Amino acid sequence: MKKIGFVAAVILFALVILSTRYYMVDLPVYHFFGGGDGPDPPALHLRGEFVESNLGAAEGPSGSLTVRMIAQQFVFVPQCVEVPAGVPVTFRMTSADVVHMLSFLGTDYGLKVVPGAVTEATFTFAQPGTFKIPCHEFCGAGHYAMRGQLKVVPREQFASLLPGERRTCELR
Amino acid sequence: MSCASGVHVRIAAWLGTLVVLCASTLLLAGRDSSAQSSAKPASAKPVSAEPVSAKPASATPANSGPPVRIPSNVAWTEETLKIVSDGDAFRGLLLARRCNHCHGEEGFSPVAAFPNLAGMDRLSFWKQMQDFQSGKRGSPVMEPIAQGLSERDSADLAAYFAMLPTANDAQDNRAFPQAMRDPARTSMAIRLIVFGDGERGIPPCQSCHGPVSYVKGAPPLATQNGDYLEQQLEYFSNGVRSNDINVRMRSIARQLTAEEKTAVSAYYGAGLGPGVN
Repeated sequence: MKKIGFVAAVILFALVILSTRYYMVDLPVYHFFGGGDGPDPPALHLRGEFVESNLGAAEGPSGSLTVRMIAQQFVFVPQCVEVPAGVPVTFRMTSADVVHMLSFLGTDYGLKVVPGAVTEATFTFAQPGTFKIPCHEFCGAGHYAMRGQLKVVPREQFASLLPGERRTCELR
Repeated sequence: MSCASGVHVRIAAWLGTLVVLCASTLLLAGRDSSAQSSAKPASAKPVSAEPVSAKPASATPANSGPPVRIPSNVAWTEETLKIVSDGDAFRGLLLARRCNHCHGEEGFSPVAAFPNLAGMDRLSFWKQMQDFQSGKRGSPVMEPIAQGLSERDSADLAAYFAMLPTANDAQDNRAFPQAMRDPARTSMAIRLIVFGDGERGIPPCQSCHGPVSYVKGAPPLATQNGDYLEQQLEYFSNGVRSNDINVRMRSIARQLTAEEKTAVSAYYGAGLGPGVN
């Protein structure tokens, strides 16, 4: 009996030690199952779809709208995006540093933005209007001032985009 | 007794399950690293030879999109951080003799239009030198100077300037601090530096430029010259200077009014900014 208790104590101790090294086990497992091939957070501006000239609303060949944004300490880039109302809009976002979250105030939508991964979601904004986009995940000292803006305009006022055009707007 | 042994059996079963789980996790981890090391050389070649070259032609949005604009060749990867942190301050001291004429013997410039380099953050100094070198940040004076410096030279200089004291010394700091021309703007400056303006998407200066927190590549501003700061804010907002990674500083400077730019830079230039010494 005493032996079993001793062995159990040793095993428990080993488990505690192992659990403190969890992240060393966790990441390789994550990569093994196909994770971790997202954009490289410190090198977003060098290559890939999140280079600064590719940010903003873009129109695909079939007329679908895609908005690409970066969340970083403590600004969203671009700070203001313009989309048409009543049309499905795909948001593709990534973070350059830490976990951010944004919610479109006044709508039911929100997005969690994680470094090293692309968050993709398709939203349809029914009503035209201007919606604040505050950061909803504590991201650092300037978190409370991290805000963007979503401008939803009536569909007929949204001029269609050229293939190479990226649309943003001025935050005011 | 029988009850106690039943409990023991149950504990042993639980522990056994846990051990099996742990072992399988570790095995998977090991398999992954070995798979990576063994499979990469074999699989990397065909991947780079065919599908990658085929992909941008058909699917990548960057191809159909506008021409790619790269603001700066510097990215804060592990290798970059290692190059910068390996800088040798003594070698930097010897190299810094050529900087003395404009940036002062002690890192405080004699003219308020030139930046003070004393206490400058290593990463931001190194990044600016690289950007001068590659022409991503335009300056007729600094570009040829930076082109004569290697990556290591810049890292050494960065280490030296980071080491210089920022203490206020009337004998050495001839241009700093400057008097604040319009003291009425003090409250405006404090509001922006400490609180920012969330409604307009302006984070507080001190959340990236210290002392509250720092972001990689953001220089401390507490002992920076006002004229220089105002000029740079102006350049950021009108796009003359565009070497900030991910449009960060350009977005913020665009939101500032001309009066706010003057207020903030004059406040820092007067040595009133948070984090002095």
